[in-house]
Amino acid sequence: MSLLKYVIRRVLIMIPVLFGAITVVFILSRLMPGDPTSAYLPIHATVEQQEAIRRYLGLDQPMIIQYFRYIGDLLTGNWGLSSNISKGQPVWELIWERFPRTMELTIFAILIASLIGIRAGVLTAKHRNKAQDTIVRGFALVGVSIPVFWLGMLMQYSLTYMLPNWIYATFGVDVKIFPATGYKTPGYPDPPMITGFRLIDSLMSGQLYLFIDYLHHLILPVIALAFITLASITRQTRSSMLEVLQQDYIRTARAKGCNEKDVVHSHALKNALIPTVTIIGLNFGGLLGGAVLTETTFNLKGMGNLIINAIRRYDYYVINATVFLTALIFVVVNLLMDVIYGLLDPRIRF
Amino acid sequence: MIEEHVVETYEEEREKKGYFGTIFSWLGKNFKFLFVPGYIPEDLIKRRQDFEMLRSKRKFIRRLRSALTMFGIGLIFIIVTFAVFAPWIAQYSFYDLTSFFWNAWQAPSGAHPAGTTDYGRDVLGRLIWGARSSLTIALPALLFAVFFGVIIGIVSGYFGGWVDGILMRIMDIFLAFPGIILILVMISIFGPRMEFFMLAYGILGVAGYSRLIRGSVLQAKELPYVEAARVSGAGHWRLIFRHILPNTFQPVLISFTFDIGGIILSLAGLSFLGYGDAHLIEWGNDIAIGRYHLYDAPWAALWPGFMIVLTVLGFMLLGDGLRDALDPRLKNL
Repeated sequence: MSLLKYVIRRVLIMIPVLFGAITVVFILSRLMPGDPTSAYLPIHATVEQQEAIRRYLGLDQPMIIQYFRYIGDLLTGNWGLSSNISKGQPVWELIWERFPRTMELTIFAILIASLIGIRAGVLTAKHRNKAQDTIVRGFALVGVSIPVFWLGMLMQYSLTYMLPNWIYATFGVDVKIFPATGYKTPGYPDPPMITGFRLIDSLMSGQLYLFIDYLHHLILPVIALAFITLASITRQTRSSMLEVLQQDYIRTARAKGCNEKDVVHSHALKNALIPTVTIIGLNFGGLLGGAVLTETTFNLKGMGNLIINAIRRYDYYVINATVFLTALIFVVVNLLMDVIYGLLDPRIRF
Repeated sequence: MIEEHVVETYEEEREKKGYFGTIFSWLGKNFKFLFVPGYIPEDLIKRRQDFEMLRSKRKFIRRLRSALTMFGIGLIFIIVTFAVFAPWIAQYSFYDLTSFFWNAWQAPSGAHPAGTTDYGRDVLGRLIWGARSSLTIALPALLFAVFFGVIIGIVSGYFGGWVDGILMRIMDIFLAFPGIILILVMISIFGPRMEFFMLAYGILGVAGYSRLIRGSVLQAKELPYVEAARVSGAGHWRLIFRHILPNTFQPVLISFTFDIGGIILSLAGLSFLGYGDAHLIEWGNDIAIGRYHLYDAPWAALWPGFMIVLTVLGFMLLGDGLRDALDPRLKNL
């Protein structure tokens, strides 16, 4: 019951923040050069037609009225038409096509980073100030210092160019280990649109080769993206593990004769993971930003690619919708993480 | 007048006591610990405090002096040297590195130890000069962020109430966007100029730092010694600047070191996407240029990347070392 109350309070706090985010997007979009009416008009439109469209879109109204109309449009899903990227296509359609791809990328990256990061954090905490600790921490910090796009390029260069060339030169076999760019082999069809997530769609329509092809294309971008969060997850797990391992109940568990593996993995890890959950949630926003760079490097047509194209070509409505959507996702994920935090940690009373 | 009177009474008392009296009082002062259980002479207490401070300082330095942190400090030293003394270290001047020549994409040779990039610009020279532009954007932006972050954090943390609520909601709004996307939009509006990069990173940084400082101000406000200072009549200014603000120094220092690395990374990302200041020599821009010649001139894109990694790694290692050395939870380990 108290948890429900807490969730309601958090949602109520979230609302003004979201409105503030909408206001920021509104101000930025009005500052942006370019004309949104061009989406609705043919190239050779007359000035009268342009004026008519301006009146229809409400762009001749005072700013304050435009602001409230804008909020209404955003909240009712009337997100306008794309003007420059693909002229006249509704923004919803673009997002519906691109958004699941970015989600697949980020979710896989988060999963891999958490799996490896938590293992590495436990390892470093168990062997504090030993060789393993130094090596893993150094490696994690190198990982966080590498620019995502450069890591992607490095992987493209070594795994799709150097290694196959070397294999061809020594064994005479022409193998393609990883595809360099793109999200599918050129010429392969798209699975029918059911959920928008290609992995699920291809499984549901029974086209296993599309599923495998897509996974194959995802491997390199996911690894590149996972490196961003790996270090912070490792670091957080390490320090909370160190803290938990000092506590009395761990000594009790050891004293009653638990073996060390059980103590570390079931007694300590369960409590040490609680702060890690928040860190994972906080990193989600960073991953959405990192997706912009990763998708540019690997030429994946996802949300990041959409955002950067929209900004580059001043596509008014697409910028509005995508920036608002990323803020919404970020805020909602943080809320979810707070709730999960409360569920995991019975000491927290709301 | 009063002092003379005091001296007179003291001398009178001494005369009254005589030699044995003074000896006894001296013994009493210095050997009191033999007779009174739990008594510690005052100067010994002071000496012990000094010793503790020295020991904690030494402990801090010892913890900081791990191999990884020293490596990080060395990297930072090299990069800062590059940034400050670029015209003396680099083989070529800024003008040479931004003008047009015929020998584009040449392999490493004597004249160009790391090869050339497009328009025949020397890669090694651009590596050295690039340190300057990264640090010149990152440092002022962070100083701006810390300055305003301290003001906002203290106002909302110390005074609390509705001011706190409003300020923190405004900061939440800025934290609701992934940083790189907001900066992309801002830069595409105002234009890719160095000043706007500083301002954009500064504004975004204010949100993070004000939250950080507010948190530590809230913690410090409840500490007993702050309470004691307030009871003994310290005003708001004295409480804030002498008692509370020093407490926020450590988290800000740690965050500052990490953020320099973060901003350099993010700047590299922006110039990779084509949003760098065209008047500067930037590593990210070099990667973006060399990217399409990865297979025939890999040096043009690989070396700037190494440079970014080394710079950011230096700051991350130092930040990690500082956090390890200052983390109060790990003090007893």
